[in-house]
Amino acid sequence: MIEKQDHEIPIRLESDIITVRKQVRTVATDLGFGLTDVTRIVTSASELARNIMSYAGAGVMRWFAIESEHRTGIELTFADNGPGIIDIEAASEPGYSSNGGLGMGLPGTKRLMDEMEIQSEVGEGTTVIIKKWLKK
Amino acid sequence: MTNEGIAVIKVRDVLMVVIPPEPDDETVSNLQNQILRAIEKNEASGLVLDISTVEVLDSYFARMVSETTKMVALMGARTVIAGMRPSVAIATIELGLTLGNTLTALSVDRAFDILHNASNGMKPR
Ligand SMILES: Nc1ncnc2c1ncn2[C@@H]1O[C@H](COP(=O)(O)OP(=O)(O)OP(=O)(O)O)[C@@H](O)[C@H]1O
Ligand SMILES: [Mg+2]
Repeated sequence: MIEKQDHEIPIRLESDIITVRKQVRTVATDLGFGLTDVTRIVTSASELARNIMSYAGAGVMRWFAIESEHRTGIELTFADNGPGIIDIEAASEPGYSSNGGLGMGLPGTKRLMDEMEIQSEVGEGTTVIIKKWLKK
Repeated sequence: MTNEGIAVIKVRDVLMVVIPPEPDDETVSNLQNQILRAIEKNEASGLVLDISTVEVLDSYFARMVSETTKMVALMGARTVIAGMRPSVAIATIELGLTLGNTLTALSVDRAFDILHNASNGMKPR
């Protein structure tokens, strides 16, 4: 897989969530995603950026245009140095929330995207990587 | 942080609120207060939330909408959400969100029909 480009946006303030959304919308649209997929990707980004704000206080989003032999896609990474997730499996189930939320952010994002990977270490931080491939 | 200054428009005894395309969190939380106060002041019987320009509905926004609808119901008025875009409807359902039992309409026009019929004692269609 060849990574063509990478860029980073800090997530520190609630207003950064809007910046993240706008950036993701632009990148996904430029890559050729249609409106429905763009909306799926932007919605996912909004959920993950909000999780960083809610649970870690601060973090970053990085975006990459990705390519494999036959296809092009977008990869978004949401990384923080927050408290980490104790039970990743439980946190990925609908309805699990440590702050009285709906617990839909992670499981919903998994449905909206083609791939999702969560790396987390308690006391170290959390990285969530999501991917969507362009349907040819 | 910008407050995009949301207008609450009164049409007879119905209030209409046009949600901006990218409302920030502050706008969203101010909106709830603004709506509830406007309903009290105008003794409105209905509220139309026009979301036809909204491009993304995340869980924060969805929660605000369904909470506001419940608060409005407690005050004795009905809410109709109007004009959700197809792409937003798809992403919202795939994300797993529901707006509870909120009434919805394809357009603002239809939303007014629903509220009008309801206040005439007819079943909303
Ligand atoms: N970046 C993060 N750092 C630490 N914990 C996290 C992080 N992201 C998610 N979590 C944990 O995973 C749980 C589930 O997250 P998810 O986004 O699915 O639901 P939620 O944020 O609780 O509610 P919702 O997103 O529906 O408002 C959170 O309650 C939190 O405990
Ligand atoms: Mg969440």
